[in-house]
Amino acid sequence: MYPCCTRRRFLAQSAAATGAVALGSRPLLAAPVPLGDKPAEMTIARWTGAKDPAPAQIKEIAVKLTEQAIAGLGGLKRFVKQQDVVWVKPNIAWDRTPELAANTNPDVVATIVRLCLEAGAKTVKVGDNPCNTAKLTYENSGIAAAARDAGAKVVFLDTTRFRKVDIKGEQVKLLPLYPEIIEADLVINVPVVKHHVLAKATLCMKNYMGVMDDRQKFHQDIAACVADLTRYMQPRLCIVDAVRALMAHGPRGGKLEDVKTLLTVAAGVDIVALDAFGAELMGKQPQEIGTIVAGEKAGLGKADYRRSALRELSVS
Amino acid sequence: MSRRRGWTAARARRLVQLAALALFVALFLAARESRGWAADWAAKLFFLLDPLLLAATFLAAHAVPLLLLVSLATLVATVLLGRVFCGWFCPLGTIHDAAGWVVDRVWPNRKRRDHWSPWQRTKYYLLAAMLVMALLGVRAACVFDPLVLLYRSATTALMPAAQWMIEDSSTAVYQAAEEHVAARAVSAVTEPSYAMFREHVFVAPQQAFLGGGLILAVFVALVAANAFRRRFWCRYLCPLGGLLGWFAWRPWLRRATAQATCNQCDLCAMKCHGAAAAPGGEQWKPAECFGCLNCTDACARESMTMTVAPPWRPDPQAESVDLSKRAMLAAMAGGVVGACTLRITPQGRQRTPAAELIRPPGARPEREFLARCLACGLCMKVCPTGGLQPALFEAGLEGLWTPYLVPRVGYCEYNCNRCGEVCPTEAIEPLTVAAKQQVQIGLAAFDTTRCIPYAYARNCIVCEEHCPIPDKAIYFVEVEVPQRDGGKRTVLQPHIDAEKCIGCGICENKCVFRDQPAVRVRSANETRDPKNRSVLPGETGPY
Repeated sequence: MYPCCTRRRFLAQSAAATGAVALGSRPLLAAPVPLGDKPAEMTIARWTGAKDPAPAQIKEIAVKLTEQAIAGLGGLKRFVKQQDVVWVKPNIAWDRTPELAANTNPDVVATIVRLCLEAGAKTVKVGDNPCNTAKLTYENSGIAAAARDAGAKVVFLDTTRFRKVDIKGEQVKLLPLYPEIIEADLVINVPVVKHHVLAKATLCMKNYMGVMDDRQKFHQDIAACVADLTRYMQPRLCIVDAVRALMAHGPRGGKLEDVKTLLTVAAGVDIVALDAFGAELMGKQPQEIGTIVAGEKAGLGKADYRRSALRELSVS
Repeated sequence: MSRRRGWTAARARRLVQLAALALFVALFLAARESRGWAADWAAKLFFLLDPLLLAATFLAAHAVPLLLLVSLATLVATVLLGRVFCGWFCPLGTIHDAAGWVVDRVWPNRKRRDHWSPWQRTKYYLLAAMLVMALLGVRAACVFDPLVLLYRSATTALMPAAQWMIEDSSTAVYQAAEEHVAARAVSAVTEPSYAMFREHVFVAPQQAFLGGGLILAVFVALVAANAFRRRFWCRYLCPLGGLLGWFAWRPWLRRATAQATCNQCDLCAMKCHGAAAAPGGEQWKPAECFGCLNCTDACARESMTMTVAPPWRPDPQAESVDLSKRAMLAAMAGGVVGACTLRITPQGRQRTPAAELIRPPGARPEREFLARCLACGLCMKVCPTGGLQPALFEAGLEGLWTPYLVPRVGYCEYNCNRCGEVCPTEAIEPLTVAAKQQVQIGLAAFDTTRCIPYAYARNCIVCEEHCPIPDKAIYFVEVEVPQRDGGKRTVLQPHIDAEKCIGCGICENKCVFRDQPAVRVRSANETRDPKNRSVLPGETGPY
């Protein structure tokens, strides 16, 4: 059971839960730790409306899910201070269209941009270090247009501008990082849930590989390297896009058959917990994923996300 | 320079020249990895106006790319007005004019030798040799077409030089601004302008071309030749000028000198761009005249005018360039020798496909490709990764400066078909993206003495994750590799599926080895050459 539980609390909670069931109020049961009105540390927003929505509808659903997941954490005002410069870091790796789920959903990104600006951010920048030609990737992923429309500054990372930074990792010491990102007041990590041959799943932690250059070597010891980078980045807010997930042939994909429409968005402050949740979406045990194990070992978070202050939301 | 004040014909001509040069530059900058404001036909507009390219493609490849028929308009204009294309429109001609203008200012008192020289006949002989070569199927001399030469020089030499300067200077300012507050004021200006260049002008970051120095040297030498003779290239060498000269033997627009008032001061000849005016006025050579109108402007006694007369009325003041039959025959024989020279090597005979010669997707079979490709550099200009490079000897001497993919510099982008879309002679066929994704341009192979999971028993997978084929042309086999200490390590060793690999080269480009990638693409299995298809297709494909 939960370490915080005393017998008295357990009895009280059981009574409350029984009462709630009797009254037909389900959310209390869903949350293992009753949160009341307190902001959660992690939220999972799932679509429970009409099954198999049309593509046009998925756009609306993505917006709603993102709004709800963020609202469940207490809104972006919790993270964004007035006049902050925020860098939204989606996965914009591949020259693929949104339906193929090789990049973060553009509507999720656009919603985050809008909420950041509403929360008082001075500037919201969106950018990544793509694997394909940056201009084609930014456009075809749909993210450049969506982010621009939402009021973001879309930034192309310049290969000559990376700065060698001592990240004091166990495996990685000097790493070329993008100054504009690490100097932002807040970096919001917005990965898409994807299959990856080596890491088995690519989620929040691995998404940080977009702030660096010269990353090819990372794969030889991916778990340790990604954990080092994550520790340096000090994640404060991650939002996992599982509106569509790429279940096979990742991380680049390219076939609609490999894409599963999960209509889920999760947000939280514990990067390891979110990665564990993402791994489960992929049908994997979190302990199978090297980056999650390494992240937990490095003290970056707890994989057992059900034990955190979790709020699960049904959106319809 | 005109002595008259106000609006003169020569000044109007200079304005038109500048406008044409500006159009050339604008279309050059608009030719990019995705279609901008300029349509594809506009991107290749200047080539479409070049009748020499039409003639060479027709003779060498027995093909008439429809859009190239536009160049007949240039011929019509030449028949009516003379070589106005050279004097009013050709952007390379304008650059030569500008260079001559600079030379005159730097070196005002040099002895001018601007009268007709019999050596100006050279260009007609060169043209004859070139057309004979084309008739024998060798189109290689087209690399010296003026528009091709200018476009290639601009793409592979001038633009990369400008890009280097802009990129590195703004980066220097940017880095200085991190440490010195004073530099921040400068970077506040340079950063936005650099961003404009990066996003709206440059195609690939740090775009550069192999052997660009040689192309630049040729270009600089030709421009510098203006110090020796004004418009040296146009008068002595330009094959397009020669072709237009043939069509300008008796233009409707003619020069007429009033003998009564002419005092044979020679001002007109001194100002003549094409050295078409005979010393002492009166006589002129229509085939050499660019229609620049300097002579009528320069004449202090206004005894020289342009008139219009139908071609059946002879022009008593016109002179022929007097090509010699003997020299012409020698030139044509030279063309045969030239064609033979380009074909005497095994590569020229195409007995052995070159391993490194990875042609762009949609490129025709090598013989036909060479018969069409102008080496203009338009495909290299628009290639989004900058991977298309000018060949030096990779394709034999005949394939000088033709495009080939160098994956270490840049790979072939899966969703891109720009090279075929912009090719003016369809040497690279315009394929749809879906069709282009089926074309194999080569085959990747692992160097297992370097590849990390083979040679060093660690996982890597960079090549596999970048492979653009939805089903992946790279697959893994899990293998236990013995270690130095007697233990074993399990790694994923990559393999190539020869049926699926299209040779795009992203694996080679992204390989962790930068000096010599451990996976390399060679031209084997290219769709366009059945003889170079080495690996039998599997059960699914017919042989």
